Amino acid sequence: MNETHFHSIKDLSTHHLLGAGTAMCAGCGGLEALQVIYDILGEKTVFINAAGCMTLLSVYPYTPFRGSWLYTAMASAPAGAQGVRDALDILLEKQLIGTDEDLQTVVLTGDGSAYGMGLSATSAAIERGLDFLYICYDNEGYGNTGHQSSGATPHGARTATCRTVHGFSGDKKDLFAIWAAHRPAYVATVAGAEPVDLARKVEKACRLKGPRLLIALAPCPTGWGYDPQETVQVGKLAVACGLWPLKEAVQGKIVHTKPPGKRLPVETYLKTQDRFAHLFEPQRDEQTLHEIQERVDIYWREWEE
Amino acid sequence: MPKHHRSNALFRIRFHGRGGQGVKTASRILGQAFFLAGYEVQDAPRYGAERRGATIFAYVRASHDSIYERGIIRRPDLVVVADETLVEIPAAGVLQGVTKTTVVLIHSKLTAEDWIKRYTPLEKVVILHPVKTRRQELHLDSAACAGAAACLAGVITRDHLQRAIEEEFVGQKGSLVQANLTQALDAYNQMALDSGLVIAGSGDQGTTPASPDWIDLPFEAADISAPTIHAALTSTQVTTGLWRTLRPVVDENICRRCGLCSSYCPEGVISLDDQGIPVIDYVHCKGCLVCVVECPAHAIHAHPEPVPEGEQT
Repeated sequence: MNETHFHSIKDLSTHHLLGAGTAMCAGCGGLEALQVIYDILGEKTVFINAAGCMTLLSVYPYTPFRGSWLYTAMASAPAGAQGVRDALDILLEKQLIGTDEDLQTVVLTGDGSAYGMGLSATSAAIERGLDFLYICYDNEGYGNTGHQSSGATPHGARTATCRTVHGFSGDKKDLFAIWAAHRPAYVATVAGAEPVDLARKVEKACRLKGPRLLIALAPCPTGWGYDPQETVQVGKLAVACGLWPLKEAVQGKIVHTKPPGKRLPVETYLKTQDRFAHLFEPQRDEQTLHEIQERVDIYWREWEE
Repeated sequence: MPKHHRSNALFRIRFHGRGGQGVKTASRILGQAFFLAGYEVQDAPRYGAERRGATIFAYVRASHDSIYERGIIRRPDLVVVADETLVEIPAAGVLQGVTKTTVVLIHSKLTAEDWIKRYTPLEKVVILHPVKTRRQELHLDSAACAGAAACLAGVITRDHLQRAIEEEFVGQKGSLVQANLTQALDAYNQMALDSGLVIAGSGDQGTTPASPDWIDLPFEAADISAPTIHAALTSTQVTTGLWRTLRPVVDENICRRCGLCSSYCPEGVISLDDQGIPVIDYVHCKGCLVCVVECPAHAIHAHPEPVPEGEQT
């Protein structure tokens, strides 16, 4: 039962279920993760999509999905999922649909909704034990509207609303910890750049009941400022530098699924993106660079002890 | 006195490009240059959700009089096309309202004759020759387009253009400002023979608007007026392959059939054939080139679009 089908990248499907022709930017890291996720979830899914970049996946009369899709306001996707799940349960109970017609209820939102506006609705849905899967594509800002700061914007990054010398002065909210504190059935961080780790986690989530939540790092060429071809490289560096720990929590027990052995300096990652360029030019911002590195070091020191 | 110096003359200039080329910036530079030349100016970009590669337009109006006209420019005096592949996309509306007197500036490797032959409404075509092929410098297209447009308008000096760019990029890296200046001034010089080719139209249009040609529809119940889509995968009817500036091409002799490109492709447009060779769906591939970077055997190479005739694979 707990045996995984995914041992190497060769085990991933090369026939993709999500239709092409969407309005996502070329090189979208969120779409890359969604491809792998949808291939595993399969057609029997209904997506409940809060406003964000991925709302544009399904724009009348076009849809890349093979099943249903519901649009909600930014703060309400988990509430929408509750309604859909309840409707399906009633239909099942009244035997108006068979169990073979049941659908997996999947919430899809960006970080603006997951880390901010929709946090309360998510908390309540987990509290009620709603049987759903939550996918957050985290591009660390309001990507759909020109990349303004969000609750997921990392320390030191420049955004459309934060043009100061040292970049964003706050810290990225630890959504994994917030969600994990609710003790849902499953919560994990993933990245499209690590598709085998991602596939295993989706597989595991599918085998469980109750609230299951995934936070996918979504490198964003448009908002972060790098060439679209670097999307996978940027994602891999986020993991290798220790900035994006790949981990999971089953009923509160946290495990790092792919800890970086010898961590690369965070600079290796920061240098790839224009949103951090001000930390290197015209002169090096040693203080901010130190702050970013220190936060990563402290995180891993706590775990390694 | 040239025609466009009539007191009520109004320049109507429309820019077309793709997200990432800096079309919004081009319209701002040109607007600012007109302003420095003593004009009243309006400039506004128009786009949907921000998407690199998606179509964008921007408008500039300039006049010595107050400008009362608003919104979309329907009868442009000058159309600037930063990406030539947009001309063939009806939704991009490049040729909308273009007449024999409209000057159409196209950033293209083709000749003006080629374009005139291809599209009937085109008569006054001016070619701006692309100088770069590096995608990393795509955003510099904006400066080149603004520089060329400034010269074609005939009322903006090199000095106005230079100051407009310096003001637009204030606070930016010196090297970036210099790169934009070089692009803009080179393009300005390239247009020297056609300086003043654009004739500003009459400024009267805005004060006497024509009534819109709409049709009144009866009120319908929600089940009729709010359509439900029951078909799956309709997005494949959208040809996002037109977004590409570079085309990834697989060299079958080097390919090790590992399938990595298919797993990493954000669009899911790479499938494997019976032999395990990747097959790229060029109708939808947006040309992000993740596959080129990720291929461990370096078997995928980027070729410039559009593929010249006779070289298509």
